[in-house]
Amino acid sequence: MVTIATTQRRRRSGLGMAMPAILLLLAFFVVPVVMLLTRSVTDPEPGLHNYAALLGSPTYGRIFFNTFFVSGLVTLITALIAFPIAWALAIMPRLPAGILFAVILLSMWTNLLTRTYAWMVMLQQTGIINRMLQSIGLIDTPIQLTNNLIGVTIGMVYIMLPFMILPLYGVIRKIDPAILQAAALCGASRMQALVRVLLPLAAPGIASGGLMVFVMSLGYYVTPSLLGGTANMMLAEFIVQQVQSLLNWGMGGAAAFVLLVVTLALYALQLRLFEPRETR
Amino acid sequence: MTTPYLHIDGIRKVYGEVVATDHVELTIGESEFLTFLGPSGSGKSTTLYILAGFQDPTAGDIRLRGQSILRIPSHKRQIGMVFQRYTLFPHLSVGENVAFPLRVRRMGRAEIEEKVRNALALVRLSGFEDRMPSAMSGGQQQRVALARALVYDPPVLLMDEPLSALDKKLREEIQLEIRRIHQETGVTILYVTHDQDEALRLSDRIAVFNRGRIEQVGTGAELYAGPATRFVADFIGDSAFLAGRLATVSGNRASLRFPDGTVATDVPVHGGGTVDQEAELMLRPERIELTREPGPEGTTLPVTVQDITFLGNNTTVVLRTGWQQELSARLSFGHPLVGGIGRGDNLHIRWQPDVAQAFATP
Amino acid sequence: MLLDFGKLGSWKWILIAICTLTALFLLLPIVFIIALSFGSSRWLAFPPPGWTLRWYEELFADPRWIQSALTSAKIAIIVTILSVALGLLASFALVRGRFRGRAVLRAFFLTPMVLPVVILAVALYAGFLRLGINGTLTGFVIAHLIVALPFSIINISAALETFDPAIEDAAVLCGASPWEARYRVTLPAISHGLFSAAIFSFLISWDEVVLAIFMASPTLQTLPVRVWTTLRQDLTPVIAAVSTLFVVLTIVLMVATALIRKGTSK
Repeated sequence: MVTIATTQRRRRSGLGMAMPAILLLLAFFVVPVVMLLTRSVTDPEPGLHNYAALLGSPTYGRIFFNTFFVSGLVTLITALIAFPIAWALAIMPRLPAGILFAVILLSMWTNLLTRTYAWMVMLQQTGIINRMLQSIGLIDTPIQLTNNLIGVTIGMVYIMLPFMILPLYGVIRKIDPAILQAAALCGASRMQALVRVLLPLAAPGIASGGLMVFVMSLGYYVTPSLLGGTANMMLAEFIVQQVQSLLNWGMGGAAAFVLLVVTLALYALQLRLFEPRETR
Repeated sequence: MTTPYLHIDGIRKVYGEVVATDHVELTIGESEFLTFLGPSGSGKSTTLYILAGFQDPTAGDIRLRGQSILRIPSHKRQIGMVFQRYTLFPHLSVGENVAFPLRVRRMGRAEIEEKVRNALALVRLSGFEDRMPSAMSGGQQQRVALARALVYDPPVLLMDEPLSALDKKLREEIQLEIRRIHQETGVTILYVTHDQDEALRLSDRIAVFNRGRIEQVGTGAELYAGPATRFVADFIGDSAFLAGRLATVSGNRASLRFPDGTVATDVPVHGGGTVDQEAELMLRPERIELTREPGPEGTTLPVTVQDITFLGNNTTVVLRTGWQQELSARLSFGHPLVGGIGRGDNLHIRWQPDVAQAFATP
Repeated sequence: MLLDFGKLGSWKWILIAICTLTALFLLLPIVFIIALSFGSSRWLAFPPPGWTLRWYEELFADPRWIQSALTSAKIAIIVTILSVALGLLASFALVRGRFRGRAVLRAFFLTPMVLPVVILAVALYAGFLRLGINGTLTGFVIAHLIVALPFSIINISAALETFDPAIEDAAVLCGASPWEARYRVTLPAISHGLFSAAIFSFLISWDEVVLAIFMASPTLQTLPVRVWTTLRQDLTPVIAAVSTLFVVLTIVLMVATALIRKGTSK
């Protein structure tokens, strides 16, 4: 009689295969980030003075306001546009839906600098947007659209729109049309069905997409710095400025820590609210 | 004593605290079709996976023609297997799927082509070589899987509930195919199912699994007529169990006293038994005779009619004993009582002395 | 009713209007930039006074543009290979592994995707300065690999999750060794996931600018870094020409992805 120890020959734990990725992330992600954050309490001298300065001064308060205000506004506008788009995508005939999808994906995958550059050109004083607004008589003289938060908001809405449409589309597509037929048979008008049935059913998608857009906007660097200019700085630009121009690693680290905490907290919220629980 | 073709020798498999199989002992003859029948979690699939080499037993051995195969890794065991789920390689055509085992054995191109053609002909899918699996029905996919498992002439073919994903009609159709293929090829088949009809329809012999152990091995007729345990009696065929206590015991035969005082005499008893031990009398519904008058003492019981259902070729009558236990009897079409009885009627059941059996409750 | 396009009544037209306007909004910058790249105005006047290929000629005449495009391509290709390889191993661990804390590990692997890239850029900048690999190819590859890997893992593990491990078992019983089964059966069967991972990884590295700004040195610049530094000085139409080429590349990759999807769904 042969006796073999209880080993499951196949599917050994498998952790080993994840090791290269784990080591890479530990060495070049966790360690550098932790070191940066450490500098926020050691540079130039040990203590919490970087945080005190960051959270105490009105100059820096302005930066936080800009960051949260623009992110919130961008989230709101994208949600308002994305809902009808996602709804239409879910019910449109194949061909127009396919075309709209292609347009969304094209804009999403086009190089970020290309898109930002295009808006920089279009939003110039002599740019196409100002000229259009003038020709339809909305304004008399060209208005300043770049180097301020208007430009940043427009550019960010453009960039974030797909990230709101796609999750929302996923949620709406899964709603059973029979539920809305039932609502109609119950006597709900179209508006009532929209407000009382469709919107609540789509709410998880709006919340999930909204959180994603908000989090991404908070830490965005390229578009705000090109369209916003230095006068209307947001958090990511501030971090870069502190580190690159002022070599103030302590302050940069402190701002990075604030951004990191807010981001990870919202990410955790997102995971808790919208990811199905793992059964194992 | 000659060496058995395949010998499963005392296989035991423990996962942590849970004993999946215990002392599974079985010999299988060459070209035999043997089915592992049992409810889910009874250890039948575990035994099959140990044969396939996907799991190692905690103790015990498996010998093919006298040679232990446990040390041989799965891919060198030469064993064929058809899985419960569809396992065709999705990126390969039907022909390439069937050719796969031959390719990994580095066979010549001409030989591969011929064997693939024969294997597909065997499962009646000639001409489907270039189809992709995704373009085939579930039944067709399982037939390709069968061809793939047979193409390298395995000494044993394992089938793990291969038809459970198919609908009833298709399932019966493919059962006939499997029987035909078994007869044509003479391959030794170990088949796992929880469906007793399937087991009876397909197999030469059936091993009934329960809680990790084999309860009984035998042909379908043997299991039906002479179940060794209450579990087998219950699992194979319909049966009525009437609960009572042993009144007298002599050797393998006993008499039972029911709560209403009636006695069933001279029935074979399984599981030993002492006087006054709880036991159940087992009767097959089609062997229960229904009469207005009581039968000979010791093979009869008074009952009341609860419900009558006409089912075409038979009429099922639900009866209740004096101590409120329900059982059913079947009256064949044209039986004199059909039409003449109604709900609430007081009747008697009786049975021939050789058809009743008793199981002592351990 | 609200989910039946034919029964929306007048609302249908409102939806169609919103969709059309949004589609135009999304397309406008792209079409606009393509048009300007062929326009003759140095000051990007629209509509252009005339048409010219001058900006493309300027672009291709400048060896620095070519040089940075080659650098970008080199980095993106190395990143793609490493990202798919590491992503494949990590996905096997995440999907097939039987160890505790897989959910935590998965969240850990995806963190670089959620964390603002600025933080990573600044942190890596400090670390690489210390290690002396700032401004080197290695530095670029590591930085891009960190942000590409989550996308690789998402795509490959999604493909692996829909692949029944019993198919691999079947291959083993057919006589293939466990590694042969993975190589001959599992990998081809999840190839669409590998392709998506490769395309995502390539595009992420090719387009990445924030990390690249910090990693770049005067002698080693990627294309986005050149675009970025040029943009900060002036909005030259040469950038429009570069941008048009970016758009063309995006369309090519999108079509390739669509064709692969179509091929595997058959």
